[in-house]
Amino acid sequence: MNNKPLIVSIIGAVIAVVLQATVAPAMEIASALPNFILAYVLALAVSRPESGLVMPFLLGLIFDLMGTGPVGAMALICTLMAFALSRLSVVLDNDTLFMPIVLIIAGSLISNIVYGILIIACGMDVSILEALVGRALPCGIYDAVLALVMFPLLLRLMQLGENQMRMH
Amino acid sequence: MALQFQDMKDPRLTRVVLIVLVVISFAMVTVYSREGESGLLHSIQSAAHAVFAPLELLSAPAGAAVEDAGEAISDASASEETLSALRERNAELTELLTQSEEYRQEAERLQGLLELKDTYEIEGVSGRVIGRSTDAWNQTVTVDIGSNNGVETGLTVVGPAGVVGQVISVQPGSSTVRLLTDPKSGAAALVQSSRAEGIVRGSLSGQLTLQNIDASVNLQVGDVVLTSGLGGSYVKGLLIGTIVRIEGSAGDGSRTIYVSPNETSQVLEEVTVIFNAKGDSSANRSSGNSGGGSSASGSAGSNGGGSNE
Repeated sequence: MNNKPLIVSIIGAVIAVVLQATVAPAMEIASALPNFILAYVLALAVSRPESGLVMPFLLGLIFDLMGTGPVGAMALICTLMAFALSRLSVVLDNDTLFMPIVLIIAGSLISNIVYGILIIACGMDVSILEALVGRALPCGIYDAVLALVMFPLLLRLMQLGENQMRMH
Repeated sequence: MALQFQDMKDPRLTRVVLIVLVVISFAMVTVYSREGESGLLHSIQSAAHAVFAPLELLSAPAGAAVEDAGEAISDASASEETLSALRERNAELTELLTQSEEYRQEAERLQGLLELKDTYEIEGVSGRVIGRSTDAWNQTVTVDIGSNNGVETGLTVVGPAGVVGQVISVQPGSSTVRLLTDPKSGAAALVQSSRAEGIVRGSLSGQLTLQNIDASVNLQVGDVVLTSGLGGSYVKGLLIGTIVRIEGSAGDGSRTIYVSPNETSQVLEEVTVIFNAKGDSSANRSSGNSGGGSSASGSAGSNGGGSNE
């Protein structure tokens, strides 16, 4: 059995975690910090819909443990978004790039909005408008751009892995 | 179900896994928001910070690499002739100036910390900032001093110009500091001129606001704001900042008072964690800090460790 797609997705996950811990704090643009982990989960869900939910959950949990936000919030979002995007990408697939792009952008914005709402629900004393417009929106756009960069790379690597699997 | 990293072709199994993971996540969020700072999930998060601290040490060179990449992109739009001349000049100047400038700035910051320590008679330990918040919603820094250096949760942290935050979690070799500008931060404060008391709170944008001030108190732009020590969360008499903007006027219950923060996380490089501060020298505090700030103790450990003062 060829596990190359699985290996590729695990290596990608490790790279995303390392980038989040090392590079992300230095990549602030207009008060938005990138979330490599969320971007990777979104790109993986669309490029390989059958990749499962445990890895997104664990990646989200690692993000939560790295920071000082509520533990479980990003794990919840990553799990739900991985499920939703993987199902939608199968159902809505029309062999064009349009649907993956739409799914990734929508997934990124929704993820950041939900995360903002969860943080406020957990006691952060900020206005919902400030949270959504001042943080969730710029972060959502930032993460969407990252995921759109990751998506073709992952797609290509997954296809290479699956081709090798068929040849064997 | 073998962790389900692999293909999930059974829809029923997928739904079961989804439900289980969602329930676990919800349970964690609920427990986290209800437990105290010493709760299980907070402790696990704190322990995880110790695991990620070595990775955060890489963030400084990584940050420099990101900046270099940005410069390279802007250079790409210049003409080749201009670029050649600039590169040549840069090579000469950079080598000469970079290191000496770095030393000069570091000496200035450390001198500031030392003066602050003398001013406030601070007993504490100094360290370097080795990591910054990895998400956009929290404003924290990681410093290279921890329980091995005597740091404990809840201690006040000062930078060269005054108070910057509070220790929220401690590991043996590092600590996480929540900055005053974080939305979850709040410090009991008083205005030096009128002695009016209130609370300074952070925000998502990093702006500090002075709240709960009596509506009848007359405040001016430039008034100095200090920690009042009420509640015991922050050491008394440390400079928080100065009032930079007032929306509304005295008697207006809804007026908003903005305070300039001492430091932002992006420029903060050395800090001192205060164990004890004897001096409440509020009389000379404003003059001591109005010129760009200077204060606190000891040298930040140049070899990665903190220095007890």
